[in-house]
Amino acid sequence: MKSCFAMRLPAMTIATAACVALAGPARSERADEPKPVEVRGSVAFAVDTNVPAVTVHGKSNVLTAHLRVRTAPDGTVLEGIEAALPVKSLETGMGLRDEHMRKYVFTAGDGRLPDLQFKSDKAVCAKGAPRQPSTCQLSGTLAIRGTARPFTIVLKLTEDGDTLRAVGDGTIALSAYGIERPSQLGVRTEDAVKLRFDMTGKVSDARAVGTTGKVR
Amino acid sequence: MRGPNTRATLLGAIALVVLSAASASALPTMIRLGYADCAACHIAAQGGGPLNAYGRGIDIAQSLRIGEDPTIDDNRRVTQDLRLVVQEQGTWTSGAAGVNFFRPRLMYRNATAISNALRFSATVTAESAHAPRPALGYEPAARSSTIFVNTALIHYKSSAAFELAVGRDQLPSGVNVPDLAFYTKSRNRLGYYDAPTQFKMYWGASRYHITPFVYAPGGNEPAGERESGAGSLAEVDVLGNHRTIAGVTFQRGTARNGDRRMVGAYARLGFGPWGILAEHDVTDRTRNGPAVVAFRQTASYAHVFWAVREWLVASGIGERLRVEAPFAESLNAGKVELAARLSNQATIVAGTRFERNVLTERWARSVTVQVALKTVQ
Repeated sequence: MKSCFAMRLPAMTIATAACVALAGPARSERADEPKPVEVRGSVAFAVDTNVPAVTVHGKSNVLTAHLRVRTAPDGTVLEGIEAALPVKSLETGMGLRDEHMRKYVFTAGDGRLPDLQFKSDKAVCAKGAPRQPSTCQLSGTLAIRGTARPFTIVLKLTEDGDTLRAVGDGTIALSAYGIERPSQLGVRTEDAVKLRFDMTGKVSDARAVGTTGKVR
Repeated sequence: MRGPNTRATLLGAIALVVLSAASASALPTMIRLGYADCAACHIAAQGGGPLNAYGRGIDIAQSLRIGEDPTIDDNRRVTQDLRLVVQEQGTWTSGAAGVNFFRPRLMYRNATAISNALRFSATVTAESAHAPRPALGYEPAARSSTIFVNTALIHYKSSAAFELAVGRDQLPSGVNVPDLAFYTKSRNRLGYYDAPTQFKMYWGASRYHITPFVYAPGGNEPAGERESGAGSLAEVDVLGNHRTIAGVTFQRGTARNGDRRMVGAYARLGFGPWGILAEHDVTDRTRNGPAVVAFRQTASYAHVFWAVREWLVASGIGERLRVEAPFAESLNAGKVELAARLSNQATIVAGTRFERNVLTERWARSVTVQVALKTVQ
């Protein structure tokens, strides 16, 4: 029996997190010097089902990401973006459903339960109007069950001093990862899972060095 | 004088009651998890009665004792169960002696599929103590009965989003809480023995839901109170996330002794572990006599709930009732309740309620413990 009324795509979240780094810090005095950003945030997901009254919602508050940020003439540049989300942190509010979700959606063929991971080498955030959020399009790969697939998400970034906040929505398709839509007793989820990211990043004064995407 | 041992025993007993009191019926509080209406888990679109296969799975998943991964037959033709509900209530009113009320009820619930689209459903209750709604000067209670047919309906369901039903049942209501003592229920002919003959429709799109109905007397109303009428519920999922339902309800009923016209608004809001249920109804009534008397009744209900655990839900409820002269009433009430679903077969609810009559300055308080047991196929 396949169950899991739920699904999640936290991975996307990760991507979002990266954005956080954007614009703000880049406009600091050493505009062309990349600075590291540590990001924390949450990702929520929602997936409709074949029953009109049933939608599965879930959330994790332990999204983490790190990246470097710098300012360029055409906007803020994010580099070396890496984000991760432990699968076990995703909860739908129903323990049995969470078990099913981990088992049928996130468990790899070898029995492992790998974290969701997002990676992107670089993203440029378009400058917004004064006092308006800038828009970042993050393109990279999102890995679910350890399988990476191309993934893009658009984030709105706002800054307040050294603090950045990024919020964005995205959608993934389970079928892109070869994941069968979970079903339980006649209720089957749709293939598309909607994601919402809400992340906050702190720009460090330390200068980032290196090109591997790791923050020092 | 009580010794320390006696006190300890009493405190232990109280603690036991409170701690084990968890609720047994489920409910609109499931909005917190994205269940926008009853049809997700109940065979009947209006809720109540037997659970569908998915609902039985949820019933298990929301229990303290989950046990093994459930294996449920989702292709059965007949779904039925026996449900025993035992309720003990003590009530104390200022200036009067306390009253204890013990009410055991045995219910047989059945839903039988006749074809893919047609089914029959029924709920029959046997009880030894009756609980009619308040017998008001302007609206006498429907007659109670030791054996009572709460529901007997023929349903035609053409799709997951459309259903017709004809027969006898309680009329549809906005916030469909199972407790019929709340003013929004007991003062609007939604008591335990109110089961008018009716024809109703459920139609839902992804964000909208409409339930129009027409009705006629159920047969147990007092002479002159046999009401016929029509009404509708209309609700929308405001944010499109199945957790923010807002709706309106209207109803018009006419009887020989008087008419009523009700307009109401309600909301069911879910925020993960907690949520809010709210309803406000305004009813304009007339009573026929030597002279026709017109007056207004307003009833309000606000309910905040929190799922301490999946199986344990705590609630705080506030109510308000105002009735204009010549039947003037002014009541405020509050209730605290703890409900525990011990397994898919056993639930227990404990609560205490306070009511203040603003006109007489009298207080009434009650403590209720309810245990519900059911068979599971």
